[in-house]
Amino acid sequence: MARIIVVTSGKGGVGKTTSSAAIGVGLALKGHNVVLIDFDIGLRNLDLIMGCERRVVYDFVNVINGEATLNQALIKDKRVKNLSILPASQTRDKDALNKENVGKVLEELGKNFDFIICDSPAGIEAGAMMALYYADEAIVTTNPEVSSVRDSDRILGMLASRSRRAELGLEPIKEHLLLTRYSPKRVEEGEMLSVEDVKDILSIPLLGVIPESQAVLKASNSGEPVILDTESDAGQAYQDVIERLLGETVEFRFLNVEKKGILSRLFGG
Amino acid sequence: MADASIEFKGSSFTLSVLHLKTSELADIRIDLDKKVAQAPDFFYLVPLVVNIEKLTCSIDYNAIKSLITEFNFTFVGFTGSVDKDQRKLIRELGFTFVNTTKAQATKINTTSSNISEKPIAVEKKVTKDNDSIAASPHTKLFTDKVHRGQIRSGQQIYAKDQNLVIIGSVSAGAEVIADGNIHVYGSLRGRAIAGAKGHHKAQIYCQSLEAELVSINGNYWLSESMEVHWGTPVYIHLTDSELTSSKLI
Repeated sequence: MARIIVVTSGKGGVGKTTSSAAIGVGLALKGHNVVLIDFDIGLRNLDLIMGCERRVVYDFVNVINGEATLNQALIKDKRVKNLSILPASQTRDKDALNKENVGKVLEELGKNFDFIICDSPAGIEAGAMMALYYADEAIVTTNPEVSSVRDSDRILGMLASRSRRAELGLEPIKEHLLLTRYSPKRVEEGEMLSVEDVKDILSIPLLGVIPESQAVLKASNSGEPVILDTESDAGQAYQDVIERLLGETVEFRFLNVEKKGILSRLFGG
Repeated sequence: MADASIEFKGSSFTLSVLHLKTSELADIRIDLDKKVAQAPDFFYLVPLVVNIEKLTCSIDYNAIKSLITEFNFTFVGFTGSVDKDQRKLIRELGFTFVNTTKAQATKINTTSSNISEKPIAVEKKVTKDNDSIAASPHTKLFTDKVHRGQIRSGQQIYAKDQNLVIIGSVSAGAEVIADGNIHVYGSLRGRAIAGAKGHHKAQIYCQSLEAELVSINGNYWLSESMEVHWGTPVYIHLTDSELTSSKLI
């Protein structure tokens, strides 16, 4: 049975799509069959971040409406085998989605994939609710910033009460906290919420801390998920996230300001 | 699965009724003035229904309403067993006709009880929430409603006729409400409303006071009033209708 993971946040612009792409690629590189689904009907960007926007022929809504089969709509990633993307529609209305037809698509995908990663839209309206409804696990993407934390708290409430698991009284969705755009320097200066502050407010297990990194913008623009940039701090942080998702215990990196030794301070770099 | 924002329910209230024995507005005015002057605070904004049963001739309903409002009563409507046409007229004028129930008429004792009660008699006093403190004992013990886990932003939990125990924190933007006491084994960051139905002995306990609002029987504090014990374990209670916070440990 596939693990259905929703990447959600409540707040917009915190790194859901970036993280979905990175995590999808990372899991596929480890040999698992992964499908990434973009649930943001009308404002799709997963295909952009994955670099496959020119290959979109059919989309999620086409599949729902029976205008195309899943195989026709799924786009196989060129860099990583075992990875497919189901893009969202850009022109259609998200009213096309409902619980039954989404459930059917997920069931069919579950036959061929080990991981189904649902990239949720921002907000708490129908689109986001649809993305989280069937989830077994949730990665709550949060910036260390007050409104993001408040919105993540709200979405955690929704995960606990409006998901299929909640409605049927099954084991609750496994929640993970992914803290993105973290700047240890600003935390030290007291400008930014620390990991401990966020953990204290949200009280869910920490999956990873992704540092604020210029590599992310580069990655989006080039359509190469940042985890493929193995030199970058963000890329490496996502690698750690993959390990933890697969059950390994990995120490948290990039939490502290790097202390430069005297030589590097003298010679820069 | 729709979460309604309103609900209609039937309820009974005891309302004061002003029985008119004459349709002479001037006389009514004089006697009303005398009565209200005896205890103006007592009558201030009291909801009043006007009983017109004993009137032999028609009156100006609008004038009656204006008179009642002039004396700072809250005008509710007319009542009494009158014929259909009169009732129709009253409704057409835009006034409510309240159907009578069998309420006992008891005379209120105001400061000087030797005032002649000729044109006006006032029935049972209206009971408001705060007054029920003296009236009903509220000595019954509440059982506890226990919730294990966080109360997340946007969630609301109501312990009806119970105390509420939260084993976890209450996030900002969440509401915990109880008719009895509220205990939070964690941080209280949202709103806590205790004694929701009028229990003024209700208390609020938490391990860290960081609330947006706390209220006991309608008396509330916003966070600016919580500076003294902010962030520490406290219990909040009412002393003489004033909220007080005390160190817990």
